[in-house]
Amino acid sequence: MLDAVLLFREALHGALIIGVACAVLGVYVVLRRIVFVGAALAQLSSAGVALALWLAGLGWFGTTHGHTIGLSLVVTLAGALFFGLGGGRRFLHHEATIGVTYAVAAAIGILLIAKAATGEAHDLFLQGNILGMTRHDAVELYWVVVPVLVIHYFLAKEFLFVSFDPETAQTLGYRVTRWNLLLYLTLGIVIAFAMQSAGVLLVFNFLVVPAVTALLLARTMLGAFALSIAAAALAAIVGFVLSIPLDLPTGPAIIAVSGALALLAWLVRRVRGE
Amino acid sequence: MSGLVRFEGVSLGYGRRPVLTDLSFTIAEGDFLGIVGPNGSGKTTIIRAMLGTLPPLAGVVTKTPGLRFGYVPQREHVDSLYPLSVADVVIMGRYDRIPVGRRPSDDDQAKVRQALEQVGIPDLAERRLASLSGGQKQRTLIARALVGDPTVLVLDEPTNGMDLVSTTQILGLVRDLHDVRRLTVVMVSHALNEVANYVNRIGLAFGNRLRLGGVGEIINEQVLSVYGLPVEVNSFDGHRVVVARSGGSPRA
Repeated sequence: MLDAVLLFREALHGALIIGVACAVLGVYVVLRRIVFVGAALAQLSSAGVALALWLAGLGWFGTTHGHTIGLSLVVTLAGALFFGLGGGRRFLHHEATIGVTYAVAAAIGILLIAKAATGEAHDLFLQGNILGMTRHDAVELYWVVVPVLVIHYFLAKEFLFVSFDPETAQTLGYRVTRWNLLLYLTLGIVIAFAMQSAGVLLVFNFLVVPAVTALLLARTMLGAFALSIAAAALAAIVGFVLSIPLDLPTGPAIIAVSGALALLAWLVRRVRGE
Repeated sequence: MSGLVRFEGVSLGYGRRPVLTDLSFTIAEGDFLGIVGPNGSGKTTIIRAMLGTLPPLAGVVTKTPGLRFGYVPQREHVDSLYPLSVADVVIMGRYDRIPVGRRPSDDDQAKVRQALEQVGIPDLAERRLASLSGGQKQRTLIARALVGDPTVLVLDEPTNGMDLVSTTQILGLVRDLHDVRRLTVVMVSHALNEVANYVNRIGLAFGNRLRLGGVGEIINEQVLSVYGLPVEVNSFDGHRVVVARSGGSPRA
């Protein structure tokens, strides 16, 4: 089994990087009650991949990894910008806008892939193919994730304040929209890159479930971030290791372990009686 | 008393719809102003304009340079899902004084302890926000407003949903902050009885207008008829008591 795990070590490495980055951002996603923004952005990212493949089939666009991720990033960041600026809140309930974005992005992705010349081969982009990750993919993820985590480390105080009490933050002179936009943009960047290998479902899982696990147990914000990272890393390792001998799809195995950890955290919370 | 905030011909609203029009008044240093009015009359809208979070549709709101507000939002807006301690919440009131990317200093922490002592909860610094009672939560928010050394304390419905004891304690605390610390206070409340017995001046928001006056000028049967019910104002042991007459039916 160890040989098999070592064979896919770059994939495990990649899953850990994605898990840690999403786990940090996920604490804000859950606390701000925007979990479906994460899902909608992941879906937009996959629609971006599909658009790149469709355009490549028409001969209007290159077929390199750079082209695919470039278009996916543009589409995801457009979505992040939209939601960061309020997501049409003036006219529609926020959740309705997220629902429309999610459904339409998913449908467009499927339609474009169906018509893309190279579509079938690239279905995995939409579902994710964590085992297919290479050393190059992992290095690329580092280039994205490390700056995002550094930003979040230094701006933790600002992100926390505008998330917890935007009204008071505004009275103290904080430009809340700009801070929200920065938070959403970091979210969009991580999602766009993570999506290339992990797929919508696994990215959504890493954005939500470890943070939920952490918030069930944590007594401080620092504790919430630490527990969220630990839950994501543990789920990635255990899910990965179990999936190989049991011949299970890796992404869903990681998600199942994440879910089990969340259940365990809920039970601990109940026992604690808080 | 000098003017700290001045509203001149101000109209306020959301989108293009005005909620209040032609507001002209001054908040002076040492003032204790209560803003009352029926639901939806624009009480909170006035403080949002004062705090600068809602630009006026017309007119001008001018503030003394260097003026600092200590804002106490409605308690219901504070999310207990966040794993924050009382001290974590209070220190947020100093975040605008701490450069971006920096952590709070020892001096900031000392200010937090001072503010918690001022509101009478120094022993709760490490307690989780989610575990606090309504009154304790309100004191935490007042401490957060005080920790930034404000010139004007602005409170939005500070006693909403509180029992009699907590209400009396919170209003007593606010009164002390005004009397002892000489803070200028602006308080929005739907509870006429509370406002009538604690503030020095009252602004009654109704029908797109704000009527300002002394407590006796506003808290009387004639003026309070804007609520649409016959109202009786009595005096008991030096306290004003406002009661809606039984059997009264809402005005059409």
